[in-house]
Amino acid sequence: MKLPLPPLPSAEELRKKIIDSQIWRSMFRGGLWKDTPRDRAQHILGNVWLHLHPSRVRKHGLKWTYTFGLGGLSFFLFLVLTVTGVLLMFYYRPTVELAYRDMKDLEYAVSMGSFLRAMHRWSAHAMVLIVILHMARVFMTGSYKSPREFNWSVGVVLLTLTLLLSFTGYLLPWDQLALWAVTVGTNMGAATPLLGAEGPFAILGRGNDVRFVLLGGKAVGANTLLRFYVLHCVALPLIAGALMIVHFWRIRKDTFSGPVIKPEQLPHDKVDTWPHLIVREYIAALLCMVVLSAWSLWIKAPLEEIANPTVTPNPSKAPWYFTGLQELLVYFDPWIAGVVLPTLIIIGLMAIPYLDPDKNRGVGSYAFKERPFAQTFFGLGMAMWFILIAIGSFLRGPNWDIYWPWESWSVHKPPPPATWSPPLVWGALCVGAYFALGMILPRLGKPDFDWKKALRNGAAAVVGASTVLKLAADLRWAQAGWLIFFGYLYYVLGILVPRKHLANLDKVRYAVTMMLVLLTLGVLMKMGVRLGFAIKYVLTIPQFSLNI
Amino acid sequence: MSRRSFLKLGWAAFLGFLASSAGATLKFIFPNVLYEPPETFKAGRPEDYAIGVSLRWAKEQRVWMVRDEHGIYAMWARCTHLGCTPNWFQAENRFRCPCHGSNFSTVGDVIAGPAPRPLYRCGIQRLPSGELLVDKSILEGRPGLREKPQFFVAV
Repeated sequence: MKLPLPPLPSAEELRKKIIDSQIWRSMFRGGLWKDTPRDRAQHILGNVWLHLHPSRVRKHGLKWTYTFGLGGLSFFLFLVLTVTGVLLMFYYRPTVELAYRDMKDLEYAVSMGSFLRAMHRWSAHAMVLIVILHMARVFMTGSYKSPREFNWSVGVVLLTLTLLLSFTGYLLPWDQLALWAVTVGTNMGAATPLLGAEGPFAILGRGNDVRFVLLGGKAVGANTLLRFYVLHCVALPLIAGALMIVHFWRIRKDTFSGPVIKPEQLPHDKVDTWPHLIVREYIAALLCMVVLSAWSLWIKAPLEEIANPTVTPNPSKAPWYFTGLQELLVYFDPWIAGVVLPTLIIIGLMAIPYLDPDKNRGVGSYAFKERPFAQTFFGLGMAMWFILIAIGSFLRGPNWDIYWPWESWSVHKPPPPATWSPPLVWGALCVGAYFALGMILPRLGKPDFDWKKALRNGAAAVVGASTVLKLAADLRWAQAGWLIFFGYLYYVLGILVPRKHLANLDKVRYAVTMMLVLLTLGVLMKMGVRLGFAIKYVLTIPQFSLNI
Repeated sequence: MSRRSFLKLGWAAFLGFLASSAGATLKFIFPNVLYEPPETFKAGRPEDYAIGVSLRWAKEQRVWMVRDEHGIYAMWARCTHLGCTPNWFQAENRFRCPCHGSNFSTVGDVIAGPAPRPLYRCGIQRLPSGELLVDKSILEGRPGLREKPQFFVAV
């Protein structure tokens, strides 16, 4: 006997049946999807993962060219790193004897191990880059302005944590790259004033200073590997995660940035987050995933020889995002380049929204005209950072000598000229005069001067003074060139631009802003006197290890 | 005791508890026992070394043995800038660091580059057997002090 088959439900009926079932109903809030505005809002508000979005967003914030999706991509990369990182942990043991062996296993014996490792490495590099670009985007569109000042500062801390996560992860493969990057990095800790054994005014020794805590010993070893492993896999991700929650929540509460809405523009053009924003986020994540996967299939993560604590590779280079710092360390004492400048950069960045006097100007667009001073100096800082990175990455070879990219590293370069430092009195006078005059000079003239005339006169004065100095002090042409370049740079960026744009600032804001400007230009000029005149320190008090 | 002063005492006790917890945690992250390789080694006899820089112990102990016409000293092969191992260049008669380009002379003085102070010399002494004992836990780089017998064995 043939039983008649029950009629198959249509796809539409099946879908309705599933969605109306008790199980589905219990899991997802809301009724049958009818794509009404209420449904769309409910979809965002009723979902724990999506409800960090507002239910409706301004159209302006959806433009690709406004955000480039950089913030979302930073978070997506964090997720990719978490997943790949957790998988890698299944095969990795953080001990001196096993770590490098486990790396080899991951590369050659574990299915997909090489791919996962590459993915983890390249995602980390991408995350550093994208977080930096995200910060640049937020700065350039004025999105840090009130009421988002605090969230900008949280973001700066998250950038720092991204770098720290990268740095701590760097040691884990236990290869030569790892060991020496961490040796250099932790030795910067030893240059901390007071708390580092080799810093200015040191009161602690090699057995109890900052470096000792970081390393868990006197040199990079078993304790260091374990410490960095725990920091990398547990402590730092937890802190970063907590701050990300704050960061996202504040975006939600402070609303997306955009041009200020005037009363007559209300009600303005908001669109539903579902689907308009969510779709864009998914597309950005998808594209990112495609690029990352292709890249990771194509290029393996580097793995050098096993760590050897007595032999340093020549040259020994940091990962790209730290070669700028490495290059900076060539021109300064470690306590300046390794401790003071990074701290000032972080604090300076965090202070930006509180120094900016204008709450509304230029928010929501990349306009240069509305914020000439802010854009100029942020651009200068970013340019300096990436130029230093480029020098460190592409122009340095064995013994950290300058090699052009087309030059072979097997060519031996003559050693650098001997350096010297001026006597203490001269150095103190120079540094004191630089900061004292630097503060006063921009305030001596009126802000409405003739810009072109000032540029012309300044150029004539700088070239004239440099030529006189060249003849009087018997300088080389290259040295006169350095004088002209840095003299004019200081004249324009250190005097004219602040004179024009900082005239209306109150005293405190002016002092702090000008200090940051002088420090930024000071870094450039210190590099100039080292390169042009072989001056090691402008100011040195060897008794206290205090060198500038 | 009034309610107010009781509460003040309570807060003081709570803050005291937090402070001592922080102190204890700080102490906790300083290891008391280190399992690091020994810092002393026997470096053979002074007669084994010709005048000049010897790399005999460089790879194993990270120490250069330097002999001049007066005696011998052991220099720690660690750049005083940020801790990399410099390389010896015989033709240029100097050590050059691969990390940030510091240059040092054979006595350890900085010639060029960012290193803030001279290379460290290790404690060195002649054992009754005639062998040299190098101690990397005692370090001195300052001119005037580094020539003292603790860091220099006359031959």
